[in-house]
Amino acid sequence: MNPLQSAWVGLCACLAAGPALAQGVTLPDVQRITLDNGVVIILYEKRDVPLIGVEAVVRGGAVTDPPGKSGMASLLAGMLIKGAGERDAATFAEAIDAVGGSLSANAGLESTTISGEFLARDADLMVELLVDMLQSPILGYTEMKKLRDRQVNFIRAAKDSDPRPLTPVYGNAFLFGEHPYGNPVDGDEASLATISQRDLRAYYRDYFGADRLIIAIAGDFDATMMVEKLSTAFAGWREAAAPLPEFEAPVPQEGRRVLLVDKPGATQSYFWIGNVGVAIGYPQRAELDIANTLFGGRFTSLLMEELRTKAGLTYGARSILRRPSKAGSVAINSYTKTETTLEAIDLALHLLARLHEHGFDEEVILSGKNYILGQFPPRLETAAQLAAKFADLEAYGLDASFVNDYGAAIATADIETVRSVIDNVYPDLANLVFVILGNAGLIRDDVAQYGPVTEIAITEPRFRP
Amino acid sequence: MALFAELRRRNVFKVALLYAVTSWLIIWFVGAIHATTTLPAWTDTFVLFVLAIGFPLALLFAWTYEITPSGLKKAIDVEQTQSIVYKTGQKLNAAVAVLLVLGVLAVFGQRLLPTFEFILPGIPEGDAPLSEKAPADIRSLMLDNGLKIIVWPDHDIPNVVMYNFVRAGGRNEYPGITGLSHFFEHMMFLGTKKRAPGEFDRIMAAAGGANNASTSSDVTVYKDWFPRSALETVFELEADRFENLATVPETVESERQVVYSERRSSIDNDNFWKLAEQVQATAYVAHPYQFTVLGWPSDIESWTQEDLISYYQTYYAPNNRTIVVTGDVTSREVFSLADEYFASISAQEPPPPIHTVEPEQQGERRLVVEAPAQTPLLQMAFHAGSATDPETLPMSLLLNILTGGDSSRLHRILIEDDGLAISVGSFQDEGFDPGLAYFYLTLPPGGDPAVVERRVLEELRRVAVDGVTEAELTKSRNIMLADFWRGLATIDGKAKALGQYEVFHDNYESLFDLPDAIEATTAEDLQQVAAKVFRTNNMTVGVLRAPVVEGAQ
Repeated sequence: MNPLQSAWVGLCACLAAGPALAQGVTLPDVQRITLDNGVVIILYEKRDVPLIGVEAVVRGGAVTDPPGKSGMASLLAGMLIKGAGERDAATFAEAIDAVGGSLSANAGLESTTISGEFLARDADLMVELLVDMLQSPILGYTEMKKLRDRQVNFIRAAKDSDPRPLTPVYGNAFLFGEHPYGNPVDGDEASLATISQRDLRAYYRDYFGADRLIIAIAGDFDATMMVEKLSTAFAGWREAAAPLPEFEAPVPQEGRRVLLVDKPGATQSYFWIGNVGVAIGYPQRAELDIANTLFGGRFTSLLMEELRTKAGLTYGARSILRRPSKAGSVAINSYTKTETTLEAIDLALHLLARLHEHGFDEEVILSGKNYILGQFPPRLETAAQLAAKFADLEAYGLDASFVNDYGAAIATADIETVRSVIDNVYPDLANLVFVILGNAGLIRDDVAQYGPVTEIAITEPRFRP
Repeated sequence: MALFAELRRRNVFKVALLYAVTSWLIIWFVGAIHATTTLPAWTDTFVLFVLAIGFPLALLFAWTYEITPSGLKKAIDVEQTQSIVYKTGQKLNAAVAVLLVLGVLAVFGQRLLPTFEFILPGIPEGDAPLSEKAPADIRSLMLDNGLKIIVWPDHDIPNVVMYNFVRAGGRNEYPGITGLSHFFEHMMFLGTKKRAPGEFDRIMAAAGGANNASTSSDVTVYKDWFPRSALETVFELEADRFENLATVPETVESERQVVYSERRSSIDNDNFWKLAEQVQATAYVAHPYQFTVLGWPSDIESWTQEDLISYYQTYYAPNNRTIVVTGDVTSREVFSLADEYFASISAQEPPPPIHTVEPEQQGERRLVVEAPAQTPLLQMAFHAGSATDPETLPMSLLLNILTGGDSSRLHRILIEDDGLAISVGSFQDEGFDPGLAYFYLTLPPGGDPAVVERRVLEELRRVAVDGVTEAELTKSRNIMLADFWRGLATIDGKAKALGQYEVFHDNYESLFDLPDAIEATTAEDLQQVAAKVFRTNNMTVGVLRAPVVEGAQ
């Protein structure tokens, strides 16, 4: 490069460094390899701190739970660290803890995810443990029985705790019913109790295999050596024995129905009001994110301002989108003291009606855009976050443009496009599923006004009637 | 070709080159001062615009005029034999060379010496870290009013984090105003003398920022996460609420209900915190750490306007606060904004010191909470050290060995081997005054808390008598070291860690001593702290279980 050229390069770099309004995020280029048996490997070197992060995704998840055995994928995930390869459960745990690593597996609705983070010097150990958990978990009887009983008791403990995380579980179970999306991801007390070691091993053989595995690693490591190591370790792994199940998109609820969950002694009522929403591939994702941010996705959202800031009825109110591969759910989630149950629910419904009637004005939409773009970069800041994003995109068959084009899509949204998304996605007031969790003795008669009521006790060993 | 030769003869190319190099230097210079001051956002564009317009003019000038010994003449009027264009050309070459060398030196000089910046009058430089272990680009500045600002630049993502630490929490309360620190945290979002309730959040959100706040027994922390472009907006918003807060009576009433709702969810309808609140209240007889941070319900309903105003004046003064900024900033621009927005807020009398010292516990304390529960809970608390106490680090390492991860002693014994509990965890307060080390366990339905308690005590005694193994110590050190690095992987984690050390250890630099301190802690240190703390005379035990039905078998 001659001096003149470098001078102009310098000039351009200076201009680029000047302040610009947030414009979205561009994912870094990664190395992506597919093995013959279908394993996808994604690698990205990032050396700001001496850590290495892994995210391994097995497509499948709770939608592959056999009928009546909700929680199977979740139980298998838990069992992956209860002994694998040459290590029994205690030795496996010791190997992780001894180096200060973290490694865990969790089932989601449509995939099982192994997440780990280790000091860079322990990269070899991390890969070894990952290979063992996926290819040779022990799935022993004693460990399985212990974990299964413990998971049942975790659900009981959750029912003794803050009810806020529970209403979406009841909500999705009640809304989707027998559809695979109605499956509580971590199972329920009744379904977990039916799972045997034989079931678990059959499920592992049927739904775990190279053809549905994605491994993303990001952090402080050498990519060339890592490719070699992973290729050698995974090239010989078998494919899953059963195909991934096909299912139709769920059908939206027509009319209204109410599930009342009785928690005796509760001093607040927790409610979830929703219907069938959209899939992850919904084309107007940017507009929907703007609409949901403004309706109930941030502190200054419509729901928060009205229910909390102005009316003082609650500490929190949100609208939640669940966007899996087919249409998921869209719901309002909040809570209030028992005496103001109706007041708060009525206000929430009124705000849903207002959303449909008025949409949002230009100034508020601009604020929503700035907020989304301003809060986006910290979500992809660490190696572990990036690894998770790469794996997630791959699992849903999406590419980098899902992230890279997002900023531009947000920027081009306007009043009309946001408006059309609201009409399209948010449920009509006539068609709603309600879950109300609280002291049923005090609210039973009142909530009947929202629709036909089904009541269950919180101690019932399932999440739907 | 004749035109080309003539262009060359008249030095047009050399002038073009000189112009380019000069432009580059100007733009670089503007960029450099931009990073240290708060020039308006359009400065770059404007400078580029002027330079672009100037370029053809300069070329035209070079073509039209010629420098002669007797001054500037039109090139066309100069006799070829009299022309000194060759000499002028040589001078132009020399100028280009000198400017290039200067430019390269300046650019690389700035890169090699991160402290080299254009020093503009009036902008304080700040102090470099006192410890060599701390990253050299951290800067701190103490304003005249006692407000200290710490900046750690990190340009990985175009975002910034600001933490505002206020040295006030449950510890500064007394019966009648319990929960006021936390309530005040809510008030800080509810309007100033010039802004209506909610406007703070609306302006911040519109600029792309988000925020939250939290209150503990020791401090109240305000956190802002925002894109670089919102830096000045956030400074203005923060300065306004820290200087001009309004406490409107109607807003106070409405917010009482919000806080009560928070209390109902977090404590009243959550068995874990319902029990923890009682354990905390029982473990102390004198020190204000006994108060629940959310406050007792009757106090939430009763504190007055005067309580709020006097609290604000006493605790929210600049000399009682610390600000940490991390992310895509330079220390200079932060200090210049701090100077502009915070320097005018006056210092106040320091808050009254908390002189109550919890008297030594003379025997074990027990309590029971009856509540609907399928899974009974057991919590055990022991009086331990403060943040700066030399025993606090050994205790943290010890707690890792006892409950950190599935290979920890208590997890293995209680959960895997004996099935006595479904979860076990521990926590140690690290505050201004000596706090508690807690163990908390969830039992399976029908589990007997007395049996579990005996088993836990047996293991705690074992540590006090036999100590820990070297392998366990190494494991615990590794867990802590990995946590340390994970904490510094984000700008949010950096702000949090710097602030914690500045506030609780009085110097942020000591954060970076932690890896060495971890290595220097011995197995004997752990055994000693176990023997000192894990005594039944020093213990409070709380049990939460379903009500016992009278007359039942």
